[in-house]
Amino acid sequence: MRHALATLSLVVAAGVAHADQELPIFDAHMHYSHDAWTVVPPKEVVEILKKAGVKRAMVSSSNNEGTKMLQDVAPQVIVPELRPYRSRGELSTWQRDPTVLPFLEDLLSKRKYVAIGEFHIFGADADLPNMRGVVQLAKKYGLYLHSHSDADAVVRHFQQDPDAKVLWAHSGFERPEKIREMLRRYPKLYCDLAFLTSHASGGKVAPGWREAFLEFPDRFVVGTDTFTPERWHYVVEHARWSRQWLADLPPDVARKIAYENGDRLFGGSQ
Amino acid sequence: MRRALLTTALLAALAAPAAAQATLDWSEAEIRLVGQHGPWPPPPARDPSNRVSATPVGIVLGEHLFSDARLSGDGLVSCATCHQEGRDWSDGRALGKGRADLDRRTPSLWNVGYSHWFGWSGAADSLWAHTIKPILDAREMAGSSARVARLLREDKELACGYERAFGRKPDGDDEQMLVNAAKALAAFQATLVSPRTRFDDFRDALMAGDREAAARYGQSEQRGLKLFIGEANCNACHFGPRFTNGEFGDIGIGFFVRPGEVDAGRLGGIAALADSPFNLLGRYNDDASGANARRTRHVRRLHSNFGEFRVPGLRQVGRSAAYMHNGSLATVEDVVRHYSEVSPDRLHSDGTPLVRALGLSAGQSSDLVAFLRSLDAAPPPRPSPPPLCP
Repeated sequence: MRHALATLSLVVAAGVAHADQELPIFDAHMHYSHDAWTVVPPKEVVEILKKAGVKRAMVSSSNNEGTKMLQDVAPQVIVPELRPYRSRGELSTWQRDPTVLPFLEDLLSKRKYVAIGEFHIFGADADLPNMRGVVQLAKKYGLYLHSHSDADAVVRHFQQDPDAKVLWAHSGFERPEKIREMLRRYPKLYCDLAFLTSHASGGKVAPGWREAFLEFPDRFVVGTDTFTPERWHYVVEHARWSRQWLADLPPDVARKIAYENGDRLFGGSQ
Repeated sequence: MRRALLTTALLAALAAPAAAQATLDWSEAEIRLVGQHGPWPPPPARDPSNRVSATPVGIVLGEHLFSDARLSGDGLVSCATCHQEGRDWSDGRALGKGRADLDRRTPSLWNVGYSHWFGWSGAADSLWAHTIKPILDAREMAGSSARVARLLREDKELACGYERAFGRKPDGDDEQMLVNAAKALAAFQATLVSPRTRFDDFRDALMAGDREAAARYGQSEQRGLKLFIGEANCNACHFGPRFTNGEFGDIGIGFFVRPGEVDAGRLGGIAALADSPFNLLGRYNDDASGANARRTRHVRRLHSNFGEFRVPGLRQVGRSAAYMHNGSLATVEDVVRHYSEVSPDRLHSDGTPLVRALGLSAGQSSDLVAFLRSLDAAPPPRPSPPPLCP
């Protein structure tokens, strides 16, 4: 046990030591939900991001107060995303909850966001009134849809708004061939690589994924996905791991995926 | 035959004495699934990486060393301090305690010889390598290779036992002596096989189509078993005769150790395994073919490994509280409640999640607990270890 912790600490320490000189990261998939607020306070979050060399982080929270708390502490670092969940547990109920759209409209009228999400929607549920409403809200406010979904749901997003901008969470956990097919079909579809390890191992980019990154270098972003409070303590290690496999790509492609795409698409502080 | 078994329930209930019970209706598919949890006991474990595995002389040396506190830095802590025979080879505590308080529960040693990863995080790929860790860990036994080697060289009985086990006097370098002590200890631990249970009797009867014997298994236990292999899908991870796949999972248990510090679980285990000079890719593996190092060679880290812990076997589960890697659940009932109510937000999957809130009724929970307790059995008393050099 001690050994395991010590090893991870060493890995973390190595990440800290070189963060200043290493490739910056735009982390496009983070959450700061209510159960994290006391165990990983906002100042500690900012410190973790700094140690990891994460220059900006797109954050959504259940509820959205968490995102605001981080913005208050680090407005230049936190890129706010509006989540349709007020607490944990709404992940599987929000799709049919009549209070969700008024809740989103209220927050959109009060604060600036760059995206709505991350929300979870699959298959034909993407045609339910709530999801349709979210697509229309995104269109109205010029926001990205951060969609944890299968390819079917993504297709439905674009059917509802052909000009929608969709960030496909976890790249749909799809095969790279399918992802390339979707990226060719939808020019405003972007993919985050959060929670994926299939694209790289031992610092080497996997065949299939390499072709995807080289064909669409402007369409991928990285993300840690801090879906539990504990995972904030994985951010530094995740950034180190990301830099390892990014180094296996041409430097211009690596820079784009590491942070340039995030900066270009989602911008800096709001 | 099986169809006949299914239809005997009513007849049996009518014809049998009042104390006898009926078997539930078991489908062919269910019988096949139940059958996969046996037979029990399995053949003795044999570890090709350990030259004294399954050898009587290695086992007896290991049994003597197991309760020898001189292996520890202060001479006060032995393996048996935490792995107590009378507590099903654990310590009955929520969290372990060696020379200092530990962050994980002391796992029971029942059936440990059949595993392929060891420890809650799988930081070792052999039982002997895993055994070295508590000997050296400052919070557990705080021993050293020099101390172990000196003990084996200077204690006449141990030196004799060592020579019988390894075919040479204890004259190797200190690290080799430590490894060999651990191999003897592992040989002993691999003999700790849990006894047959009422579940095993039912399983064998069901497989043999023995209606009368199968009907001795309680109805609540049978309902719980049906849940276990059916709706609750527990056997997705807890499968096979030991009720474990031997791998790792995140079942929604928190893994903060203290403020600002987490137990990285399997992620840290993979890193520790790679760093260990005692892993199966190293020079101490006695299997010249290297075939047993396949898992170690190919294991790769996943983001999901962060906070994953080993899937424990379930034999003797009711006798080895507390539960989970951090002892955070006190009773079997608490474990069942956890699976009934686990928050989906703490889980992440790239498809259909293996773990989901089961939403069990009170009756279902009670049945599942009854089944789990049917995996318990009182072990027979162990004889004292034979002398090292009779």
